[in-house]
Order: sequence, then C-alpha cells, then structure tokens
Amino acid sequence: MKYELAEDYVAPQENALEASKDSTKPQRTLWGDAFRRLRRNKLALIASVWIIFVVIIALSADLWVPQTFGSPTDIDSSTSAARSLLPPRIKGLENLGIFDGTTDKKNLTTGEMEHINVYQVNAEKYPNSGVQDEYHPFGTDLLGRDVMSRIIYGSRISLSVGLLATSIAVLIGLIMGAVAAYYGGIWDVLIMRLADIFLAFPYVLFVIAVLAVFGPGFQNVFLAIGILGWPSIARVFRSAILSVKENDFIDAARAMGAGDWRIIVRHIFPNSVATIIVYATMSIGGAILTESALSFLGMGVQPPTPSWGYMISDGKTYLSTAPWLMMCPGLAILSTVLAFTVLGDGLRDALDVKMKDA
Amino acid sequence: MLRYILKRILQFIPVFIGVTVILFVLQNVVPGDPIKLITGEKAVSPEVELQLRIANHLVKTQEFPILDENGQQVYDEDGNPQMVKRAVNSKGEPVSNSKDAEPESVWDRYVYYISGLLQGNLGNSYQKRRPVADIFLEKYPYTIRLALCGIVVEIIVGIGAGVISAIKRYSFWDVLVTLSTSILVAMPAFWLGMLLQLLFGVNLKILPISGAGANSAFPEYLHYILPAITLASVSTAYTARIMRSQLLDVMNSDYIRTAVAKGLSSRKVIVHHALKNALIPVVTYIGIDFGSMLSGAILTETVFNWPGIGLTIYQAIMQRDWPIVLGGVSIICIVVMVISLIVDVSYAFLDPRIRYGASAKGGK
Amino acid sequence: MSQNTFTMSRRSFIAGALATGAALAMAKPSIDASVAFANDAAVDGGTLNYYLTDPVSIDPYNVQENQGMQVCNALFDALTTYDGQQGKLIGKAASSWEANEDATEFTFHLREGATFHNGEPVTAQSFVYAWNRLCSPLTDPENPSVVSYHLSMVEGYDDVVAGVKGATLNMEAKDDYTLVVHLSFSYADFPYVVSHLATAPVPESAASDMATYQWAPVGNGAFKMDGKWESGQYIKIVRNDAYWGDKAHIDGVDFKILLDIDTAYLEFEAGNLDNTQIPNGRISAVAAQYGVAPDGYTANPGEETLLGPEDSIYYLTCNNQDKIFSNAHMRKAVSYAIDRQAICDTIFEGTRVPADNFITPGIAGYEAGAWEAAKYDVAAAKEEIELAKKDLGVDSFSIILNCNSGSGHEDIMQLIMANLKEIGVEAKMEAVEWASYLQKLQDGDYQIGRLGWIADYPIMDNYLYPMFYTGNGDNRSQYSNPAVDEALSAARAIVDDAERIAALQKVNRMIAEDFPVIPLMFYRHTIVCSNRVNNLYVGSLQMIDFTKCWLSA
Repeated sequence: MKYELAEDYVAPQENALEASKDSTKPQRTLWGDAFRRLRRNKLALIASVWIIFVVIIALSADLWVPQTFGSPTDIDSSTSAARSLLPPRIKGLENLGIFDGTTDKKNLTTGEMEHINVYQVNAEKYPNSGVQDEYHPFGTDLLGRDVMSRIIYGSRISLSVGLLATSIAVLIGLIMGAVAAYYGGIWDVLIMRLADIFLAFPYVLFVIAVLAVFGPGFQNVFLAIGILGWPSIARVFRSAILSVKENDFIDAARAMGAGDWRIIVRHIFPNSVATIIVYATMSIGGAILTESALSFLGMGVQPPTPSWGYMISDGKTYLSTAPWLMMCPGLAILSTVLAFTVLGDGLRDALDVKMKDA
Repeated sequence: MLRYILKRILQFIPVFIGVTVILFVLQNVVPGDPIKLITGEKAVSPEVELQLRIANHLVKTQEFPILDENGQQVYDEDGNPQMVKRAVNSKGEPVSNSKDAEPESVWDRYVYYISGLLQGNLGNSYQKRRPVADIFLEKYPYTIRLALCGIVVEIIVGIGAGVISAIKRYSFWDVLVTLSTSILVAMPAFWLGMLLQLLFGVNLKILPISGAGANSAFPEYLHYILPAITLASVSTAYTARIMRSQLLDVMNSDYIRTAVAKGLSSRKVIVHHALKNALIPVVTYIGIDFGSMLSGAILTETVFNWPGIGLTIYQAIMQRDWPIVLGGVSIICIVVMVISLIVDVSYAFLDPRIRYGASAKGGK
Repeated sequence: MSQNTFTMSRRSFIAGALATGAALAMAKPSIDASVAFANDAAVDGGTLNYYLTDPVSIDPYNVQENQGMQVCNALFDALTTYDGQQGKLIGKAASSWEANEDATEFTFHLREGATFHNGEPVTAQSFVYAWNRLCSPLTDPENPSVVSYHLSMVEGYDDVVAGVKGATLNMEAKDDYTLVVHLSFSYADFPYVVSHLATAPVPESAASDMATYQWAPVGNGAFKMDGKWESGQYIKIVRNDAYWGDKAHIDGVDFKILLDIDTAYLEFEAGNLDNTQIPNGRISAVAAQYGVAPDGYTANPGEETLLGPEDSIYYLTCNNQDKIFSNAHMRKAVSYAIDRQAICDTIFEGTRVPADNFITPGIAGYEAGAWEAAKYDVAAAKEEIELAKKDLGVDSFSIILNCNSGSGHEDIMQLIMANLKEIGVEAKMEAVEWASYLQKLQDGDYQIGRLGWIADYPIMDNYLYPMFYTGNGDNRSQYSNPAVDEALSAARAIVDDAERIAALQKVNRMIAEDFPVIPLMFYRHTIVCSNRVNNLYVGSLQMIDFTKCWLSA
C-alpha cells in the first residue's frame, strides 16, 4: 500500500489540489480489499454482528425492555424485600430443573432430584415471596430490580463511554503524536517525556485521582479515561507518522509550498488512517474495561443508572449467596470487549497494519 | 554500557520530577481535607485540628517566646529563652484556629518533601500516624511475593502455552490457546478473581477466599494461588501470544529452515535454536510486566483484600493521605525504572546484535 | 469511630419484620437456656481467640475506634465505666465521686491498693499526668492525640492543647487518692466522660517512652500485655493476677488481627476464632445454626448469635441553610415518606431497626417515638409537602441526595428515591468518595446526605450537644435554635441525674419539633460466638468485659 501511494506521488503534479484528489484513488481500492479480507474472517464477522446486535438492543431498549423485564431503575419499597435477590428463572425451563428460580441444589439427595417438581413446590423462592408469576432470566438484585433489564441498559453506558473516551484519547493522541513526529526536535522530546511521565503512573490510580478532582459521573468518567489514554496512542501514531513522513510524496507536497498543517491533515493523516482505525477499535474494549473497573470501585456513573462494573461490585457482597449478580454483567463485559478485540484483530489483518503486539 | 546506564538514569530524573509535580498539583486540586478525615464521621475538635496541621507541616508556624504571667520572657535552666511553636496568620501573628492559620505554600511543601526524600525520609502518614517508610516496609513484601508468584505463573503457563500452540499450529491446542488468551484479555481481571473465589473458595472450599494468610486456617502459601492467577491472567495471555508469534517467525526464518534441511531433528531445532531466539522479546515483555506487577495491582488487591501497596495507595488516595500516595508512587517509579533498565541491559547480553553506546538510538 | 465499615446484609428472615432480639430468638432451634446464667459453674482457664481488625491505637493517648477500645478496655481501668447489664455508671478506678452545686468541680475518690501492671500504685497523680499527656501536643509533636477533645471541658485545656509549655489542666491531686477536677463550664455528665478509655491513667515511668509504650501499654486493668502488639498479626493479653477486683476466669485473650470479614468468618467456622462479625446475607442462616441470644447481648452455648441494638444511629442530615431544606415541613415530608422498615428488611436482613428518635434505645432517657415525624406515613408526607410548597411558593421539588460511594449507601438512597417519587419529589443521587463527601458536608454544599453517629458515652447529651448546639463541628445540618442552645446549656448544669434527663428529654422534643435531621435506623450487633464461650456480654457501645466470660472446658 505504501508503495502504491508513493508511486502516485512520484509523478509530477500540476497543483496540490489535484494531488490530494488523486491520492484518494488508490485508497478506494485499499478499503475495498480490506473489506473483502475482513468478510472472509469469520471470527471478525461474528464479532461485528455481536457489536451491531448490542448497539441495536441498547438503542431500542426503551421500546421493549421495561415492558418485558421490568424497569432497570424503579423500585417499589413495599415489595422490594420480597423481590430482593431472586435467582434466575426462565419460563419453560422450570421442569428441567435449571433456571427454575432455585439455587441450592447441592443439598438434594438423588431421591429428591427425581421429584424435582415436588422440591420446587416446597423450596422455590418465587412462590414463597409471592411473585410466582414472574420470570427474571438473570434474577433480581438486592433492591428487587430485574438484572437482565439492568444489563441491557448498562450496555448504553459501556458503549458510549467506550466510544467517547476512545474518540477523545485518539484525538489528543493524534495531535500530540503528529506534532512530536512531524516537528521532531524539542517538540518530540517534550511530548514524549510528558508521555513518559503519564505512563510512569499506575494507570488506574491516575484515573482515580483525576476523578477525585472532578467527581464521578458519566461525563467525567469518559473525559478522564479519554484524557489519560493519549500517551500510548500518541506513541503509536508518532511511529506510524514517522514512517509515512519518510515517503517522497511528503517532500513533493512540501516542495509545492503546502504548509505544515496542510501536510499533516491532508497527507499524513489519510495515510495513517488504517492504523488509527485499528488502534481505536481495540481501545474501545480497553475503555469499556476501565469504565467497569472504575464503577467497580464506586467511581463510575451514579446509581440508579445501571453500569456493568457497578453491578459486579454489587454482587461482590453476595458472592456466595447470589452469584448471578456478578456473573451476568461480567459475561456482558467479556462478550462486548472480546468482540471489539476480535474485530480490531480482524481489521488489523485486513488493513495490513503492522503493530507491536501488546 | 556504563554510559548507557548513566544516560538512562539522567533521563529518568525529569520523569520523576514530573510525576511528583503532578502529584503535588493533584494534592491541591482534589477536594477533601485529610486532617478532617482522621476521626472518621466525627468532627475533629478545632484545637486538635490545628495541632495536627502543625505536626504535618500544613500551616506556617513560627517560634514564639513564652511569657510568664507578668509578661516576662521564660528561660530554661541553661539560660536559653523558652520558645513555643505556634501557627501564624498571613501577618505572622499567632492564631489558635485552623481557619485563620496561613496554609503552608505548595512550593514550601514540595521543597520539604524532596529534601526529606533525598535524606531517605518519606514523612508521616496523616491517617495512620506512622512513618510512611514503615508502612511500605510492612506492605511491600506482600506485593513482591505476589508479583513473584504471578511471574512464575506467567513464565510457566504463558511460555508453555505459546510454545505448544506454535509447535502444534492449527491443532486443537492452538485453537484453545488462541481462544483462551483472547478471552483472558477481554475479561475484567477483578471479575476473574471473583469467579475464582466463587469456584475454589465458596463452592469447593479448597482455597481461601481472601487475605494474605495472617491467622488463617489455610496454610499461608495457599493464599497466594488465586491472587497470583488473577494478577497474571492478562499478561500470561500476552506472553503466550508473543511466544507463539515469535516462535512461528523464527521457525519460518532461513536459518531454521537450513537447520531442518541439514537433517537436524525438529525437536533439537526447536529447543536449541528456535526457542532461544524467540525467547528474547518474550523475556523483555515479562521483565517489563514484572515491573508493573511490582507497582501493585489495585483491583486484584481489592478483590482479595491483599495487604499490598496497590490497595494501600488506593486507600490513601481515598483518605487524601498524601504522604502515602507520594511515597508509594515515588517508590513505584523508581522500581519500574530500575527493572526496565535491568531488562534493557540484559537484553544486550541475550542478543549480541544489540550494542548500547554513543551511537545507539536512545530509548525504545 | 467511623461508620465506613458499613455492613450490608439481606432481607429479614422472619416474614413481616419482628425487630427485637427476643423475637429473633423464637426462630432458633430450641436449645435449653438452662446452660446459661450458670455463672457459679464458671470454669477458669483457657484463652479466648478474639477477632479484631488492626486497631488505630491501643494506648489511651490515641484510642478511638471500637477495635482499639476493646483491647484498651481490657488493659485499663478508667475512673468509671458504664455497666450495660445494670444500666448504670459504676466506679472503676474511682470508688466514688461527687460534684459541686453547679457541676463545675468534680472530686473523685480513688480505689486504694490498685496498681499498674508494673507494680506502681495508681494515684491521683497518675491521672494528672495521663490527662496532661493526652492533651499536650508536646507529648509527641509529630503525632498529637486526636482524642484529647474528651477533656475539652477541663479548665486550662485550650492552653495545654495549643502546646504552651508549662500550661497544665486545672486538676489537682489533693492526696494520693483524691482527684479534683475543675471544669470551665457546668457539665453534670462529666463522670460519664471519664468512663472513656482515653482518660485512663498511665504510669509516668513507662509512658514517657512513647515509642515502646504505644506497642505494649502498661495499664491498670484486669489484663496485661503479653509481649507487644504485632501490627497486622496479633495482640496477646493475659490475666493480671494483681488486679484489685474480680479476677478474670480466662487466662487471656488472643486478639487475632484479620483484615477482612470473609476470612474471619471462615476462621470462625474452622474453629480458630471464638467470635466473628457475620458476613452479609448470612444472618438468617447463622441465627438458625448457632441460636440467638435472648437478650441480644450475652453469648452462651446454644445462644451464640448477638443481634442486640447498638448505641449508634444512621440518619439523613438536612442542610438547614439550604433554600428548600430550611423548611421544616419539607424535612418532615421527606421523613414521613421513607419506608424505614423496607430498608431494614430489603438491605439489612432485619439487622437494623427503624429509628423513631435521634436518641438510641440503649440510652437512659430514650422515649419511643419522641421524634414524631420519624415514621413511615405517606398521607402525612403528602400533607407536609403541600405545606412546604405553599411556604416556599413552588409547585414541585427536585432535590439531590448525597452519600459516600462504595459502601452500599447507594442502595439505601435508591430506596429513598423511590419513596420520594411516591410523594412527587424528584430526587437524584450524588455519590462521591468519602473525602469529597465530607468536604461537601463541611462546606454546606449539599441538600440532604447520610451520616452515622456512634455515642462516645451512653448519655443523651452525647447526641444532642454535638449534633444540635449552634456551631459545633458535628452539627453538619447547621441547625441553630437559640432556645435549644440555652436549654441545653441549662440542662448540662443540673447535677441530679433524673432532673437532668428530664430536662434533656424536653430539649430533645424541642429539637424534634424543628426536625433538623431525619433519623433512619438504629444499628444492631451482627456477632456470632463459638459454643465454648459463656457469659460474653457485648454491650450496646460494643464494649466487652472480658473478666466475666468463661470458656467451657
């Protein structure tokens, strides 16, 4: 790909405008190739389907989730004690003895297992709590809210923090990396030293300290993750840009009198865009993990807004008595982050971006 | 080589200063008054509060002569005037209330801190009322031991899995390793820790749920297993991936192909040639990772209630116990620097192609 | 000290919500109670393995939270002590005391023949030394005591605490066994203050070496240190055979320091601990398995679970300077709207009790329902909210609930938010970490927030004065009512106990009328003991008298 682009610029150009127009031509084939390669990667395909699925569910939640599973936030204090910590129960599976609204099967003798229906009548928590008509596929939390509903609404937080934080980190990292790489010299030293200082801090501690300054809450969380995420991105872009900068077409553009920023914006960025996309996709997963860690430590979005990390920390207290509380949101995080990493891997292969592992 | 080491140390100084400066800035912009937190939910009485501020060098003080009832200067047995240290306001007059006292300037506190640090004195904790150095002497061994256990897991499992999946490429084992490394990387480590607690602690009851073993029914070494696995999970996955891709690269290289062509057994080739070369970047990664493990892991330590420095520093931030935060981050910075220096230097020994010197490019 | 170690637990195991310890006892498998109270059959010997989290200090100089206090209580005798079983203040190092007419001068007559563990006699001079040591920052300039405030009513305190050399508290040792203390204002409850272990005597010869003393204090109590406190590991104490009073049955106590409650519970189950805190969600199982103590405080074989109310309260503080919450109708409306029983059942498995007073039930002078608006009554809430709307000239309310994050307080706030919605008040939550939260309260930058209060001494004054006297540090609601201030000051000067309590009750009702804060719940014990422990009494202030308990052979 580099070869193609460089060749394009070797040809003498009449003016800079035409040069940039032409430069888009090979890109079109680049993206086309990439898309074809991506489509052949089954794992990446599954990952993208999963991400699209999660996005659709998150966006459409208001239309069907409260009706189906119950509100993710509303509590009725008169029944909260009865609904509190109900185990998972899925319609139709009760007779199989799984997800039937009971948890403690260890104490059953084999004889009792044969009469599992009898056991349900005697020991089922739902009838005992007076809510025999309800089905909570992932159980309920301490305050009697449906965990499934909360997980679906929690995806909104995770996805938006992931996207917004990554955008901010990429934007800052891009500018810092570009300045460092393009101007070099003292700028390079200063920016990279600053990056060193940021990286010398234990990352989570740093985010916590910054959040302590601005206070918790959705906006501050993505801002903090985004603002502190730039150094590693700046490093990646710096080297990516350095390699682009060596190309002849940059010299050509400069020879034709293009200004620094014009060169950066018009010539260097488009040629590092593949790296940016791959890195950003992978960073989304990282940002989701960081958000969950912050929520786990109680510094994320404010309750009652559901967040996956916060739900896990809720479940920590009831690890032995209500394990579904931490299990389900954890699986949600795992599947979503995994999807973004796999998609990132796929994109990297498809776009043929050389990146250091880890 | 010596020159290189010296250069790295010199490069480290501005980073270290930058880190401490940022901490001092944070100290002044983070809301919450450490002194008011000492007594928990009860308010600190105003008189005690002022004394705590004086003791912690948070307010400007001055020595005042003690006057007796008649307004006469009091002298001790040796004839020296008796003095008392009082907090003062901006005009230099003694005050008896924290509100009126002039706070010590950030700059003065910074100078005080750095000069203490150069003498090996990290100051006293606001909350625990003990020297910070003592606290870390107590806590750091836990972090070091856990990091050592973690690194053992990482070396054995990570390298082992990487080698197996590279040798048996596209086999069941390869797929398993690739899949499980992806999952481990995508999993919140604290969640993995809780799953392990649930399985081995709550259900099987064969491993302790939390703590580091003081006064425990379980033998102390069992307390290290689950935290070490949790701590090492992500980096073990990375180690396996790097090992795999490096080994594949090396096995595809010309000299290995030549060796095979010459008729050497593939086992011999792998052990004697491929593995040795493929290990270099893996060792580098593990070395750097060891440095970060020694920085303490807040989440792992929180989940397992591990009395290491990660949890200590995290709690100190929450309590605004700045001497502990400053001391802890300073120690971490130095440890990470030393480790990465050792890694880079040993890299040169492992890989004879690399020479550090005046002509080498600085940094990585 | 701090309520940060907030334990959460699940809903009531008795449907409905029978709240008292006696009711809980009915749920246990019936084990005959005749084993209990068999104190005559007390067996001597054995070492109690007691669960402790690492204390802040075990030296009276800085003893503050109940962990350090527990150890300190075994090592030291203060002048007096509160006997929860008898419900009254009794002499310990002092055999008797009297006050002057306006309660500004107290004379304590010390027990003769009592000695410190190093053999030195306990004299009035020991108290003079100990109290000045406690208050003066010169004792340890790097580490001034944070608990000297207990003696702030003693004349001369201000100078001593400011570090003025040569300044002393105005107290005198009339002779070896007579101690006279002068107060700077009338304070009839002073004998309760000197039950606090921070005011215990220390021997000058030993305590002057701070570095050694704080790790192995030499006291005058029924137990003495065996070796030094190994931070993070253990504190061992053994019976003091030279003790003046009833000697302990047990040989000693091994305080095993464990950092977390889960490990402690496992240790307890493994038989390595004689007591533990019950982790969340296990109260009902533990109560059924180990049996519940009928009085809630005394552990005996078969009655091993202690669930008695404690002298601590969980409440909502309202910012009385806030535009909305300066209105008493608004505060009462919020209070009426909160379903306290639902909170106790849903979140705490019945280990909290709805509060109907700011004074906790274990305190002399507690009147059930004295804070009339501290109950769940939606109709009354709606009435009050209408009055508030009229007063403030608004149509609707949107308020912010504050709390500190990460300790489960968010769950309580969410239930309260749901309750408030029912009366048409839109509430949002702002949970910030503890340090920022405290700052907000201090700056008055809040509308309504949560707090806890643990009494230092079991007296009404210890609730009313710090919380509701104008300008006090703990008065975070910034409540100010000159009539209340005046009545409080007057009540503090009444020497007669019954009269003083009656006067304080009147003050309490005056405050309840203004309703500056919203009482929510009283705490309960969540302790379980092993089946070899007999007659272990854990009082409502969480203090244990280790001399009375014994271990089955």
